[in-house]
Amino acid sequence: MPETSRRDFLKLVGVSAGAAAAAGCSDHVEKLIPYVVQPEGLTPGNPVVYASTCQECPVGCGLHVKTRENRPIKLEGNPDHPINQGKLCAKAQASVTRTYLPDRFLTPQRRGSAGLETTTWDEATSVVAKAIEAAGGKTHILGGNTGDTLSGLIDRFASATGAKRTIYDPAVSETLREATQRVFGVASEPIFDLSGADLIIDFGAEMLDTGPSPVEHSRQWSTARDVAAHNDGGARLVYVGPRLSVTASSADEWLPAKPGSEGLIAAALAGGDIAKAAAASDIPADTLRRLASALKKAKSAVALPPGAALASRRAVATAAAVLKLNVALGAIGRSVTIPPASDTAKARSSFANALALVAAMDAGEVDVLLIHDANPVYSLPAGAGFETALAKVGMVVSFATSKNETTEQSHFVLPDHAPLESWGDARPRPGIRSLIQPTLRPLHDTQALGDSLLSIGRAIGGDVAARLPTGSFRSVLEAAWAGAGFRQALKDGGVYTATPSAATGEGVGGELELAELTLSGSGEFTLLAFPHGLLSDGRGAALPVLQEIPDPITSVAWESWAEISLASAEKLGVEFGDVLEIETSAGRIEVAVYPRGGIRDDVVAVPTGQGHTVGWFASKEGQGMPGMARGVNVSDLLPAQVDEGGGRAWLTEKATVKATGRHRRLVALQTQDNKRQRKLGEAITLAALGDAGHGEPAAAEHGGGHDGPHEILVPFDPADDAADEQLQRAFPNELSVKVSDYRWGMTVDLDKCTGCSACIAACYVENNLPVVGEEESRKARQMAWMRLDRFVGEGFQELIRGRSFMGPNHEKLGDTDIRNSPMFCQQCGSAPCESVCPVYATYHNEEGLNAMIYNRCIGTRYCANNCPYKVRRYNYWDNQITKWPGQMDLGLNPDVTVRGQGVMEKCTFCVQRIQFARQESKSAGEATIQDGAIQTACQQTCPSGAIEFGNLRDDESAVSKKADDPKRGYAAMHVLNTRPAVTYLAKVTRGKVEG
Amino acid sequence: MTPPPAMSVADTMRPPPEPPDSKINEDLLSVMYHRLSPGYLLLLGATILSVVAAGGTWVYQVYIGLGIGGYTHPVFWGAYLITFVFWVGIAHAGTLISAILYLFRAKWRNAINRGAEAMTVFAVLTAAQFLGIHVGRMWKSYFILPYPNQRGLWTNFKSPLEWDTFAISTYATIAIVFFFIGLIPDFAIARDRAKGIRKLAYTALSLGWQGTSLQWKSHTRSVLHLSGLATPLVLSVHSVISWDFAMSLVPGWHATIFAPYFVAGAIFSGFAMVLTFFIPLRRIYGLEEYITEYHFDNIARFILLTGWIVTYGYASEYFVAWYSAVEPEQTSFWLRAFGPYWLSTWVMLSCNCIAPQIFWFRWARTTPWILFTVATLVNIGMWFERYVIIITGLSREYEPAVWGVYTPTWAELTLFAGSFGFFAMLFLLSIKVLPIIAITEVKELAIHDKAHGGAH
Repeated sequence: MPETSRRDFLKLVGVSAGAAAAAGCSDHVEKLIPYVVQPEGLTPGNPVVYASTCQECPVGCGLHVKTRENRPIKLEGNPDHPINQGKLCAKAQASVTRTYLPDRFLTPQRRGSAGLETTTWDEATSVVAKAIEAAGGKTHILGGNTGDTLSGLIDRFASATGAKRTIYDPAVSETLREATQRVFGVASEPIFDLSGADLIIDFGAEMLDTGPSPVEHSRQWSTARDVAAHNDGGARLVYVGPRLSVTASSADEWLPAKPGSEGLIAAALAGGDIAKAAAASDIPADTLRRLASALKKAKSAVALPPGAALASRRAVATAAAVLKLNVALGAIGRSVTIPPASDTAKARSSFANALALVAAMDAGEVDVLLIHDANPVYSLPAGAGFETALAKVGMVVSFATSKNETTEQSHFVLPDHAPLESWGDARPRPGIRSLIQPTLRPLHDTQALGDSLLSIGRAIGGDVAARLPTGSFRSVLEAAWAGAGFRQALKDGGVYTATPSAATGEGVGGELELAELTLSGSGEFTLLAFPHGLLSDGRGAALPVLQEIPDPITSVAWESWAEISLASAEKLGVEFGDVLEIETSAGRIEVAVYPRGGIRDDVVAVPTGQGHTVGWFASKEGQGMPGMARGVNVSDLLPAQVDEGGGRAWLTEKATVKATGRHRRLVALQTQDNKRQRKLGEAITLAALGDAGHGEPAAAEHGGGHDGPHEILVPFDPADDAADEQLQRAFPNELSVKVSDYRWGMTVDLDKCTGCSACIAACYVENNLPVVGEEESRKARQMAWMRLDRFVGEGFQELIRGRSFMGPNHEKLGDTDIRNSPMFCQQCGSAPCESVCPVYATYHNEEGLNAMIYNRCIGTRYCANNCPYKVRRYNYWDNQITKWPGQMDLGLNPDVTVRGQGVMEKCTFCVQRIQFARQESKSAGEATIQDGAIQTACQQTCPSGAIEFGNLRDDESAVSKKADDPKRGYAAMHVLNTRPAVTYLAKVTRGKVEG
Repeated sequence: MTPPPAMSVADTMRPPPEPPDSKINEDLLSVMYHRLSPGYLLLLGATILSVVAAGGTWVYQVYIGLGIGGYTHPVFWGAYLITFVFWVGIAHAGTLISAILYLFRAKWRNAINRGAEAMTVFAVLTAAQFLGIHVGRMWKSYFILPYPNQRGLWTNFKSPLEWDTFAISTYATIAIVFFFIGLIPDFAIARDRAKGIRKLAYTALSLGWQGTSLQWKSHTRSVLHLSGLATPLVLSVHSVISWDFAMSLVPGWHATIFAPYFVAGAIFSGFAMVLTFFIPLRRIYGLEEYITEYHFDNIARFILLTGWIVTYGYASEYFVAWYSAVEPEQTSFWLRAFGPYWLSTWVMLSCNCIAPQIFWFRWARTTPWILFTVATLVNIGMWFERYVIIITGLSREYEPAVWGVYTPTWAELTLFAGSFGFFAMLFLLSIKVLPIIAITEVKELAIHDKAHGGAH
């Protein structure tokens, strides 16, 4: 071997060190560039919040859009807005992603030989303008619910060009409008205020889920039955409907009435023929009599009319019967306000008009069809024949923001801005006017719908241009708000006054034509097409978070399912996941079955919202299967049927149900509904709660044998648990650590939890939780830091033989003992996860949190095994790179670390919010953080206010007071001595309504 | 009735007469110098192939993520950890034979101790790899070592996984040193006969061994002392591994019986593996004179004994689950036997509890094919034992809402197969380069027997 000189050696060392350093560099270098000119009012690192209005459904909740460095990252409710008062539902929480979806059109599109191709605005505008000019009066505009000023502009455009306008929004209930017209002579949607009610009857309105105003009603309902304020347990809720829905699960009594018999029941309760109603509805006459007498006794009873699922061909009569019941109860003016009729787009939505348009298209009377804010190819029932009629239209122009089934059939797409990029306003109900303001500069080459129409009008020129306003849509908007204080409204989100009442007392209508429901077709089952709680009429399907969050009842995600009763399943010889063939006179679908106890034997229920063939998340495009439908569209089973007032009838079909012999493993995240008497989702009866003699915890209810002989009887105080105390106990003489002022804790009031899943959606958005998709969800590898456990009753030790994926369903018809138990990291004082981590990636911090150091984690996953609550989530893949297609990464919260492959993660009690509040408090010179200054994302959005968060060391804090509840408070799986910082407040079982 | 303890076992069957000295050298080294038969090459090729396949899968897994495994929400540990525990268990027979039986002067160990020690080393090496395969960020797995660093980070000595790290590394070190020291005199014999590059290698490896009485004295001393050091390890290593489970609060895991029951299980499977490898080896290389029915008989008795301890462990687990009156524990155990994994459980019980009972009969203990079959069954049963403990425990935990079912995937099965490939590959290579039967110790026994007239 030749001698190596010192020189050579040093050279060698240098080269290898250089090579090693070069190997450490990644191939893309990112630079942090500061603002050259800092925008006014913006401090990098501090959020800027804009007030706006949610456009996910016609309710029109107020928003506070939180932006960071000009990117909207989180939506929160506007506390000043009278409808939602700071709260939001899951749909609104998830909708921030609409801005960043990979489905969005980046430029205007024109149909070429290879599908939609990029074009310029000038070209698109001039071609469309020429076409409209040439069409003469044969131009039609079809749209959904839009903002007020925009709707006015569309009207002006229509009248200038001679176009005809049709408004149809599937989420708007024109049936109710028609019923109000018949009963009160005013065509408006009644507004229900449940806050003062003591007995609520929900006739399938799904008031807590998909009803007329779920966020508002959840809040009012939970206030009305808050056991802290009402010794008698407050308002009782009775649900009438064929299926144990989200609302039914929170009800005190469930009458599983035959679908379509709600009108007869309402009429009977209002003093009508009880025997007839009992015969038609399958509900015992005694029950109805008891209910009728309860209604008489009630001081403030109110009834809510059915929603879309129960809209039959006699839906108007049914809704009118419920309104008449309200009249009989004296609820009008007290809990029900009949506002004056209005001319908003929402108030003009009509299914019959949409069908008339289809007929006109079919007859060749439509040359140009402009479609905005609607996806009629998907949302109209198969029986309407929209798709075939569309082929006869010379030019179809869509203004959609993102790809959908309709844009696939359009000749031009003039993409609108995403909702968070747009100007606009809304008048969701008389007295409330709110503004929509952009929160970021448009990401793509898009144009506001109003501006597109204005430029088309100007391109037509002449008289048309002269009849349109000058300037941009924004100037039109400002002009419309000229008298209302535009600047102040921008700040407040709008102008809010009390909703005026246009009708009181008696009502004007005559007799109603109520009869037993008749359905078309043959078959043993009644087809119940019910709105999906998250995807609603299908508009939520594009949003990844809404696809990922499991349905609160069945825990199915990413797919469609059909619910039939256990008895029906046995009769058909099918089990969970077996594929059923459902056939009606209008069509046929194949869908996997979810047998359950909580549904009538004669009903097959399929949720709406799935079955899209276009869209990254809505269809299977994101899974590499473009054009493949995700789930089924239940509209394919429905003919185009209307009720007496022209509203859409959903409950019209009998269905034949057959087993196909095939099976698919449905994505169901929860497989057992039996809590086996374990200390999860506890309940306490009202009687036990009122019994002052015994201060026993909720568990004592059930014979005290809950956790076997190992129940820990010595109460613990989670406020005692923080890292430094443990050290001090261990080394009393050696350590003089400062005792922290804080021990963060939470209470979850199960009596208020409806299972709406808004908290889960908020958590996803706040904490950058990746959406793992269908296949990973099937392996239960979702990354949700917060999930909803749903148990049926107290449960029992159930031993199931064999390898079955899905455990038995324990729901019973008429039984509402459902325990919703949101589960997330309990931030245990004696945490099983901490002691087993070999590298201190999870440890106890001085404020009692189980802190996570993602960078330190090596992925042994021992912590997750040892967590009895199973709230830790593991990144099996590089979720943060692979799961954010398009520009979705722009919506990430910069305050929360994105987690890499191989790392464990979990709820942190929104530690970033704690830190932010700490900074604020320091800046304000406060000694400690004020109670209420920190709101976790889940708490902030919870519509019913079930979650409280704060400092357990502060005896005066709201959370301390709630956590000290000696009867309802309990710690989940207390027997394991984990000393959680989360106190659950047991659900209160109020029992059936007393007559 | 349980079999008598090991010490007296050694004398129940008369050891066969030993062949002469030169023949011993000849016979035992002949394994090394046998021409490479097509069968050998085929087998070696197959093992290398499986190792390459497993290596490829592992690289892919590091690149793409652990998601290619069958993990589901409640089951965070799967086939990798099962395979890890399995190989750590296999590693126990070697040290037991060479250390504990050495201290007890059980002479029958001499012919098999080298092979068993080699098995120990290879099994520990195989097992250790699975720790790296199992963790999500193997490129950060050095965080688990308590090394001084400028960030002031330290490890958590409360974590059983930290104990694991020490247990495995200590065991690997002792096993390798012990193995090597035993090999020195044999390397010298090989050196004396070898030519060319082999001669060079053996010269280096034999560390200048000349067989002087001083050298022999030191050698014997160090073997004795190392035996003393290794003996507690036989008990401690698998105890520590068992604490990975016993220290947790997972139903079906946190049982105080775990340490002794795991140690017995380890020895049980270790001996089974010794049989699995020695029976074909003896047949192929004609070593019937050295590895005799006498050895098999003793090993079979050990399997029977440890099999009963393991059976007692199972019984105790079920009894305690019932006696505790803790519902999650009871449910977990009931479902273990009749729930989603009933098949695994019954495979485990029949292989580990029923199959070894045939060893009550001497003819079974001395018939190679029966021994081989039972050993294979025991190996299967012991893999399933870990499967049952880990998977059933996790899949049916405290939160019924997140119960789930785990099934291993192609990736996990490839790596599992690769572990056997790796182990067999090392074994196949080693019989060509190492004297796999301890020549000097066999001779020692022969001389000893002669001096004492072949009887005690």
